[in-house]
Amino acid sequence: MTDTRTPPGEEVAPAAGTVGLRGTAARWVHRPRSRRELLDRLFAVQSLFALVVVFVVAIAVSPRRGGEILFLDGGNLGNIVRAVSEIGIIAVGMTFVILLGGIDLSVGAILGLSAVGTATLMVDSGYGILPAVVVVLAIGLLFGALQGYATARLGIQSFIVTLAGLQVARGLARIWSGGLGIPIAYGDGPKEAPPAFEFLNGSINGVVPVPAVLFIAIGVAAIVVLRTTAFARHVYAIGGNEKAAKLSGVPVTRVKVAVFAIAGLLAAVAGIIHAGQLNQGSPNDGAGYELDAIAAVVIGGTSLAGGSGSMGGTLAGALLLGILNNILALNNIDANVQLLIKGLVIVAAAALQKLRNTVA
Amino acid sequence: MSDEAVVTMTGVAKRFGGVVALAGVDFSVRAGEVHALLGENGAGKSTLINVLSGVITDYEGTVAVDGSPVRFAGPAAAQAAGIATIHQELDLVPGLSVAENLVLGREPRTRLRTVDRRAMLRTAREQLGRLGADLDPRRLLGSLRVGEQQLVEIAKALLLDARVLIMDEPTAALADAEVRRLFATIAGLRREGVGVVYISHRMEEIEQIADRATVLRNGSVAGTVRPGETDRGRIISLMVGRSAESLFDVAAAPDGPADREPLLEVDALSVRPKTVRPGRSEPTGVTLTVGAGEIVGLAGLMGAGRTELLETLFGAGSPGRRSGTVRLGGQPYAPRNPRAALRSGVGFVPEDRRRSALVLAHPTGRSIALAALGSLSTLGVVRRGRERAAVRGKMAELAIKAASAAAPVGSLSGGNQQKVIFARQLLVRPRLLLLDEPTRGVDIGAKAEIYRLLHRLAADGMGILLASSELPELLGVCDRVVVLRRGAVAADLTAADSTAEDILAAAMGVAVAGKDSR
Repeated sequence: MTDTRTPPGEEVAPAAGTVGLRGTAARWVHRPRSRRELLDRLFAVQSLFALVVVFVVAIAVSPRRGGEILFLDGGNLGNIVRAVSEIGIIAVGMTFVILLGGIDLSVGAILGLSAVGTATLMVDSGYGILPAVVVVLAIGLLFGALQGYATARLGIQSFIVTLAGLQVARGLARIWSGGLGIPIAYGDGPKEAPPAFEFLNGSINGVVPVPAVLFIAIGVAAIVVLRTTAFARHVYAIGGNEKAAKLSGVPVTRVKVAVFAIAGLLAAVAGIIHAGQLNQGSPNDGAGYELDAIAAVVIGGTSLAGGSGSMGGTLAGALLLGILNNILALNNIDANVQLLIKGLVIVAAAALQKLRNTVA
Repeated sequence: MSDEAVVTMTGVAKRFGGVVALAGVDFSVRAGEVHALLGENGAGKSTLINVLSGVITDYEGTVAVDGSPVRFAGPAAAQAAGIATIHQELDLVPGLSVAENLVLGREPRTRLRTVDRRAMLRTAREQLGRLGADLDPRRLLGSLRVGEQQLVEIAKALLLDARVLIMDEPTAALADAEVRRLFATIAGLRREGVGVVYISHRMEEIEQIADRATVLRNGSVAGTVRPGETDRGRIISLMVGRSAESLFDVAAAPDGPADREPLLEVDALSVRPKTVRPGRSEPTGVTLTVGAGEIVGLAGLMGAGRTELLETLFGAGSPGRRSGTVRLGGQPYAPRNPRAALRSGVGFVPEDRRRSALVLAHPTGRSIALAALGSLSTLGVVRRGRERAAVRGKMAELAIKAASAAAPVGSLSGGNQQKVIFARQLLVRPRLLLLDEPTRGVDIGAKAEIYRLLHRLAADGMGILLASSELPELLGVCDRVVVLRRGAVAADLTAADSTAEDILAAAMGVAVAGKDSR
């Protein structure tokens, strides 16, 4: 994108590694001089703002029982984060890919492959937790890296490469599992998984679900990486203008391979969590998850053109989708209507971005 | 040829910001004449034809068609008035057939509102026949050679009843046989009473087909001549003029070339690209040296291969087979990619800032630090303090004017954007700096600053290879000027002993009386 506005990444995270930013931030806080600047400020926190709005609306429309707001119940809030944790983790990887100017359609299938792998390795092959997890993560990482290499060196669009990768991963998952879901039974006997694996299904202090903790931890780590590392700068540079990045000595191939490897690795993480939560690994797991992840990234204000966006926005986007699903479910709204509303929200987010492009 | 002018432009003036592109130009095209337009790059040719073809609408002066003043609202209006333009990059759809291209947007319909293929093919055959083009209108446009595509474009213009045809460097991408065919076509157009505005740098072509030639210089008409009857040297001196430039206050007399250590030695460098791209001239047996502390200019017409040479030296050229040797500081130097070039101490400021160097939405500070992130980071984490200090230092050193280092690059002026790219390159401390048109689109003040910077860098021992279309710039800033023509070195001149005429003559392959150019 070659317009002159500040990338959303800068706005949500105004201190991201640039000099003199303190002054700019201060200006935003103290003197909104023009209407345009006001708009800038509003858009800067678009996804966070939207998240707060949805949160407040959810409280207002939440069903109550005995004066208690069900939506705000600790267990419910934990469940929201748990429910979005797999999509959220995938969306973190997707954010890197989209910032790079690419797209990754294979992550849902990699999740399925990983869930199958986790289940099969522990149940059929008698692997311990650690070896199983390491092997599955390695597969996800390698799968992503190969896709990155194909995009970078063969110059095929990532859409095509990962569309093919989606088929391949799904096929591998079916072959590996024999086409059936592999149930995970816990115990010490043969054909049983180590009971410790069940911790993925548990909660810390009985309140905070483990997948939610993992999601938040990965999200925070990604925010830090995106704000502090040279790698992240390279990602933004390639997404913004690949030729300029190359002429500036950015190792374009290496960065692309790394980004797709991260996306594959995080999809594998989500796959392991998936297996743990459902106590099984099925080759059809994660179908369509890539689209929900893309939706979270878009709602988070990251531009599909690449080069501008933020990780914080993606986390907010994922949570927003989760709250939306939750409050609709709490109010017993038909699942099909839920889909409709989700679609509208995505369009609204994209329209807001467009508006920002034309106004600011 | 009648004396009645179809189009008359009177006192046409246009400025871009503070830059005067046209300063009151008179220009006319008569029916059935070929009127050549000549001038150095930046003399105002493009601006003039953009006014004539309706691309530029806010100009001063008048344009009249058949004697009555008009003001085109856009290219479509100019086309409707019979003024068509054949651009270097043709406006055709490769996936459609020749006939479909010809009638695009005006397809003949049958009674059922489907496309009347028979009528379409008949029209196409008629038009192509009129041009003497032996082309099957059913062929896919993309399967035609460039010259044939050009004929289709001309046929399309005639189908719109064009009375004036503007041709912008039509032979740049053509083989000799195709050029002959094009000239036959132009002769036919002339007989039909179509006026042709012909822009080219090729003197022999202009002598062959043009009735009149108008020479532009600095946005004004330097003269209108009859090409066949005028000495080429006179035309070149009309193009160059005698304008002295005071921009180049060379502080100290440059050292003699003898006592300079050679930094870059290029010997018989050729590139045979894997895929030949039209309009590109790859290096062909290029031999040149740049000494430490020396500024060497790279001159040549559009498409002479200046950019291609610089890109090759930066490891960013067309992929393909290279021959010849390049040494940097005495060591063999063959960078596989820009990263390797930067590591060897070679910096590059590309020609097209927006396309090749900057992300306009990204903050200025980040843009400056981009190439040097490796040395500003520890274990992959960018050290903010170190980065801030480095960026501040370069912004101060180059006097980059920005609201803050966080301001998007796109909010800076052209000159300051260019300085951002310089700062990025200088932050990696190169020994050799390759510059491609570093002052294009830069205001006078920033130009002078860039020149001073170049002299300072050279004084510190940096070697600089500067490609430029501005002859005064080359002569004023450089120690030596290497002139390229079709990818090869046409002349290697000492700036102090040379004139703009010498450079232009070498670039155009014209021998000027009394002067020798290789």
